[in-house]
Amino acid sequence: MNKLVYLVPLFPLIGFLINGLGRKSLSKSLIGIIGSTTILASFVVSVFLFMDVKAHGASVVTAFNFINIDTFKVAFAFQVDQLSSLFLLIITGIGFLIHVYSTAYMHEEKAEHFGRYFAYLNLFVFSMLLLVLGANYVIMFIGWEGVGLCSYLLIGFWFKNNNYNYAAKKAFVMNRIGDLGFLLAVFWLIAKLGTVNYADVFAAANTLSKFDVTAITLLLFVGAMGKSAQIPLYTWLPDAMAGPTPVSALIHAATMVTAGIYMIARSNVLFSMSEVTMNLVAIIGLATALLSATIAIKQNDIKKVLAYSTVSQLGYMFLGLGVGAYTGAVFHVMTHAFFKALLFLGAGSVIHAMHHEQDIRNMGGLKKKLPITHATFLLACIAIAGIPPFSGFFSKDEILAAAYAHNPIYWGLGVAGAAMTAFYMFRLYATTFLGNFRGTHDQEHHLHESPKAMTIPLIILSILSVVGGLIGIPEILGGHHELHHYLSPILISEKAHHIEHSTEYMLMAISVAIAALAVIFAIVRFSKKPELKDATGIAKAMENKWYVDELYDAAIVRPLEAVAVFFKNIIEKSGIDAFVNGVGKFVNYSSRQLRLVQSGQVGNYILIMVLSIVIFILLWFYDAGIIRLVDKFF
Amino acid sequence: MNAIIFSALLGVVMMFSGILTTNKQAIKNIALVCLTLLLVANLANHYEWYSIKIDTKQMFSFGKYGYFFNTIAITATLLYVFVSGDDIVKVGSYGAEYFALIFFVLCGVTILSSYNNLLMLFLGIEIMTIPLYILTGSDKKNLHSNEAALKYFLMGAFSTGIMLMGIALLYGSSGSFGIESIVNNTSITLMKVPILEVIGLMFVFVSMLFKVSAAPFHFWTPDVYDGAPSVFTSFMATIVKSAGFIALITLFANKSEELGKLWNILLVIVIIATLLVGNITAVFQQSVKRMLAYSSIAQAGFMLFALYSRNEIARDGILLYTTAYSLATIGTFAILIKMEDHSLDGYNGLAKSQPLLAATQTIFLFSLAGIPLTAGFFAKYFMLASVIRTGGNAAIYLVIIGVLFAAVSLYYYFKVIQAMYFKEGNAATTKITPSFKFALLLLAFLIILFGVMPDALLGLFYF
Amino acid sequence: MPIQYYIYLSLALFSIGIVGVLVRRNAIIVFMCIELMLNAVNLLLVAFSKMHYNMAHLTNAETTVGTEGQLFVFFIMVVAAAEVSVGLAIIVMMFRNIHSVDVNFLNRLKN
Repeated sequence: MNKLVYLVPLFPLIGFLINGLGRKSLSKSLIGIIGSTTILASFVVSVFLFMDVKAHGASVVTAFNFINIDTFKVAFAFQVDQLSSLFLLIITGIGFLIHVYSTAYMHEEKAEHFGRYFAYLNLFVFSMLLLVLGANYVIMFIGWEGVGLCSYLLIGFWFKNNNYNYAAKKAFVMNRIGDLGFLLAVFWLIAKLGTVNYADVFAAANTLSKFDVTAITLLLFVGAMGKSAQIPLYTWLPDAMAGPTPVSALIHAATMVTAGIYMIARSNVLFSMSEVTMNLVAIIGLATALLSATIAIKQNDIKKVLAYSTVSQLGYMFLGLGVGAYTGAVFHVMTHAFFKALLFLGAGSVIHAMHHEQDIRNMGGLKKKLPITHATFLLACIAIAGIPPFSGFFSKDEILAAAYAHNPIYWGLGVAGAAMTAFYMFRLYATTFLGNFRGTHDQEHHLHESPKAMTIPLIILSILSVVGGLIGIPEILGGHHELHHYLSPILISEKAHHIEHSTEYMLMAISVAIAALAVIFAIVRFSKKPELKDATGIAKAMENKWYVDELYDAAIVRPLEAVAVFFKNIIEKSGIDAFVNGVGKFVNYSSRQLRLVQSGQVGNYILIMVLSIVIFILLWFYDAGIIRLVDKFF
Repeated sequence: MNAIIFSALLGVVMMFSGILTTNKQAIKNIALVCLTLLLVANLANHYEWYSIKIDTKQMFSFGKYGYFFNTIAITATLLYVFVSGDDIVKVGSYGAEYFALIFFVLCGVTILSSYNNLLMLFLGIEIMTIPLYILTGSDKKNLHSNEAALKYFLMGAFSTGIMLMGIALLYGSSGSFGIESIVNNTSITLMKVPILEVIGLMFVFVSMLFKVSAAPFHFWTPDVYDGAPSVFTSFMATIVKSAGFIALITLFANKSEELGKLWNILLVIVIIATLLVGNITAVFQQSVKRMLAYSSIAQAGFMLFALYSRNEIARDGILLYTTAYSLATIGTFAILIKMEDHSLDGYNGLAKSQPLLAATQTIFLFSLAGIPLTAGFFAKYFMLASVIRTGGNAAIYLVIIGVLFAAVSLYYYFKVIQAMYFKEGNAATTKITPSFKFALLLLAFLIILFGVMPDALLGLFYF
Repeated sequence: MPIQYYIYLSLALFSIGIVGVLVRRNAIIVFMCIELMLNAVNLLLVAFSKMHYNMAHLTNAETTVGTEGQLFVFFIMVVAAAEVSVGLAIIVMMFRNIHSVDVNFLNRLKN
């Protein structure tokens, strides 16, 4: 049964190969079918694996020895356990829906690009599965780099537009900064423990010194920062919206960006050992959540709002990890995957209907024209706003409750962020779907509901967004928190909540009430007369994303460029270039001289041989001096 | 055991098949069948099935290591005939005889893989080289071929003389030809040196260095490799040279302590000289064939690392190295043979006219240069790791020098890649058959396979 | 006769052979010098063989120690014969092409 795990990443890989190689010869419908069915097949296998893990527990399946150097061994092995099987379901399930959605969304592309798109998408799913399934940090890193590559390729999918290419490059570079941290952490682990297998590392974690644990976890966290878009490496994610919308839904909302959370949850044994890192994770998470929420309030591009909202929600997940609520964070990953994928796909549906218009100031009143999109989008907004009994409520509440137990200030700021979330989501909803249509006449004429291939995924996801939270109903609301029990073998259970039940009810009520108020305020404020004027003052700063990009530009990019210019013009030209060229010239020169020794005359050759033998023998018999000389140098 | 007997017998079979048929295709196919038979016979030995059991009176010591090397050498030959067989029969009008000679060379190779006596070392070397003199001169009207054969013969015979003198002196001092009794003689220490023994060992060592073309005894290599018909250069540079290394390592395998410090210093001098001469001289070559000849000297420098370290990693590593090096070199030469112009400019624009050849050639060159994901990387890695394992500062310096010269080697290997991909021109090739393409792909696949999973090869060794 | 005499004689022959290889240009004479080197070795082997036999014979009258040295000589002679046939063939082939047996005459392969 466990051997089935090979099939999970194999199917997308096959899909990638077929679509990649046959993109010029296959028809569009065939490409779409291959792309989607491979993921569906993976999903089916994942369901079996999930059942199996539930029944028989975790296991490690080794395919072959990947690296085998002396005592250091890295196996190409798959970890099939509660955590990875859950992620498998999320990745393949949502992945399948988004593949189906893409067949309609990308239909205008030429067959060749259509094939390229699906090849990339399949490769992405393959890499992501590898990341999640790997039984050691090296395999995880392979997947980690793979998803980064696919993300780069897909952000720059429309490579004719140079801005998109810049966005792709930015994403790649920022991810690489994080990857460096990850890589250093892996090397550190190898140096200290001599192994990278999860099981061995966690078993030997106690032998690490305090400093080592802190350094390793901090470096891992740097990796997570890059991949999961946390301060200070978050600015690539909003720019990554340059890619096709389904890509944003799959990669930049539902799966890839949660890789950082998966990695920390997977390494929870290590992280729990370092107080410093845990606090830093919580603070960075909270700061990211708040900062990006404020930015989201003033964005007018429908995808940018969702992008900042994603950054903000990821911040919540890190807050959860930082306060030790690993289950809560994983739970939020799952519910967030449902409703954020839904939001993006809904946005995609709107953009599709509006002929690639993304500015919400030019929309409005789409409620009537796009009934299914509207309904599902509304459900998703309610879910993300944290209104019970929708899925977002349960997961967010779990994180906030754990934050309160840790430090009430975290909770206060968290609730403020949640209120902002509710506010900007319903600002988005109201501006887009309510009021009057503000676009051009032409656009109004062409408004239409999207085809079935797009709406059916929306409906499925909306159902999941509504009921997805039910697997994690906390005990005070009479549930059993199934997810918690399921994941308990993998994740260290959070420190016991020292909260009275009455306090917990109160906290819940407060956060729901504030969120509800924010929702009502947003609907009242924006449904009739949306803000169309340019913002001023603080609002302008928010609209311009607090000038963070400009800050990075001034503080890092420009000085670096100045240094680079200095190095290029002064040091490189006169110093290094001259040196390198000198070496090259020297090699060439000695090459020309040395080949003259090869005179072509047998007599000379034999003479040199005989002389060498004589020298060898002399060396041997007049050895003492030479040995002393050599000893001095070596 | 089987391999020695069968290779000699099958050589005779090949010779007679030349009487029965003159159809070149048929001869090539017979050779392929015979090689497969030989491989099977050797594998049977590996599984302890003997055709004839002869008491060899300690002349041989058959073991897994030798069998495994035989398997590698025979498989490499099989691949070599598979890729370049059509060109072997094209060299002259004696197709069957060329194959017969190749079988006799293999007989020498198999003797060298498991000899236990200096007599067998001598016979193995001679059985291996005498047919090579003929193969080198097989292009009878070509003056280059003539010259190469004469040079090879004279210098080869001279080095045989040196080796025999060494053996005689060793015999004089120890009274036996068995290799344990000679090189395990604990009386060799730094201060108290039996002169006969030292000079004898030195002579044998030098003549073996000659066979593996280590500097300063490498002078025959560029001229002979350049002058010989390319198909046979390919064979000489790969299987024969590998056998030389196995013989050298068997001779000096576990003698490190007794041989003293000075021995290592000599070896270090030889290694550095070999790397220097091979790499630096290759840089300036305009003919790809001659460049490959020098690069094969450079590769020999790397293989000598195994002799310096003489430990387990080195023993495994040299097998991987010879495999990686042989596969890549066979492929490179196979493509070279198909080129109309053997100079570097002759490769200009090959990527356009023959994309598959250019791509596989790139993989072969990557492997020779030791780029990761090709077998050559792990081969070099094992060599360097084995040196590091010996410890000491000298080892570190040696590794640094090795890496530096590996970097130099990138330069001239990449010149070929640059010519193929980035230079304008229409590289002309002779007719390329689909089966040739398939054979190249097979070689490239094996190189990548061993580059991703070196254990796939070394694992076989321990089966 | 002490063994040293044999050693000196054979080393002298060997050196003459080497010097001959180095200074002569006629391929056949070079080849003969190489043969001289081989014969020096043969002489030495036989001498050593006798020496080892004599030493072993002092303690054990039935000993066969030393025979392998003489056997080796036969192998050298056989191999040398094989080498001669191939070598002369090569020299003849060269002579047919360039009408000369000067080893330095053919000098196209260099650098």
